[in-house]
Amino acid sequence: MSTAASDDWKKDWDRMKAAVGQDFSGGVPQVGADAVEAGGIRRYLEVLEFDCPLHYDAAVAKAHGYRDITHLTCGAGPMAIPPQWQPGGPTIFNSADAHAQPDHSPIRGIQSDLMPKTTGYFATDAEIDYFLPLYPGDRVRLVGARLLSVEAKETSVGRGAFCIFETDMVNQKDEVVARRRAGMYYYNPKTKGEGG
Amino acid sequence: MDWSQQRYWEDVTEGEVLPTLRFPLTIYRLVMSAGATRDYNAIHHNSEFARRSGAPDMYANGLLLQGMWERSVREYIGLAGVIRALRGFRMKIFNTVGDTVVVKGRVKRKWREGRDALLELEMWSENSKGVSVGPGSMIVTLPSKAT
Repeated sequence: MSTAASDDWKKDWDRMKAAVGQDFSGGVPQVGADAVEAGGIRRYLEVLEFDCPLHYDAAVAKAHGYRDITHLTCGAGPMAIPPQWQPGGPTIFNSADAHAQPDHSPIRGIQSDLMPKTTGYFATDAEIDYFLPLYPGDRVRLVGARLLSVEAKETSVGRGAFCIFETDMVNQKDEVVARRRAGMYYYNPKTKGEGG
Repeated sequence: MDWSQQRYWEDVTEGEVLPTLRFPLTIYRLVMSAGATRDYNAIHHNSEFARRSGAPDMYANGLLLQGMWERSVREYIGLAGVIRALRGFRMKIFNTVGDTVVVKGRVKRKWREGRDALLELEMWSENSKGVSVGPGSMIVTLPSKAT
């Protein structure tokens, strides 16, 4: 197979490439499921075995200029994830197959009709500017999703494209707490025999 | 970790190495990570699902790996340091269950901007297969004896 022919699948991503610069949020913010709270911060510290008192001791945090304990800077992302399920919503667990996935997931990243259909996805990279701390009671939402780049590429796991979107993370006072440029690889896994 | 000790900008020299941190990746830890980060993508806690997706096994998610860098940086800059930015955080190879992520860093640059005393800390993660995340960097401020 010639290189040109073998690269034909990349053309499926041309419409996305042409959309670089566009906002894919549809003007609708993505609101996190919960407000920041001490228990959620603690669970993040727990998995990291991280004992920084800025994140659990209000007296120490206040002595260093904060008004309360703060979330980790990397905690802003999880706080912007919408609920997996919520009251009034449809059931999401409709199969007893051990490996079945919920019918809905808030972490699939940006979806668009401009993309070819893919089944696999994972985060690849991040660049973040942090402007304000996150405190208990803060509610985070993602505002905007401007497409910065698209690179169609075959990797060891399959064929797809690396897409980078820029998003503001905004609190309930409409203050931008962080600005994130996050990459996601959308792909179709290789089938047996394709190697890689 | 003795949090009563505070490093000042003047104490730092370019090229200085951050203490290495090791994070063994067990199934237990990856399940805890899913709960802590709310990233329930099954590639991070289900070996069979991860293999179907093309990965060698379940693997650590980006938010856990970012947290590893943050812990390393925070332990270096102390309570009075401030994390300003994350740069070049790129996951290059999978950090799979059963492996250990080793976080390393060094002071790449120190400079002042107005009243801010800044450092660029070059950060990367390694596992048994090589560098798995980065090298990227975290931009931080430290307190200065001069201000």
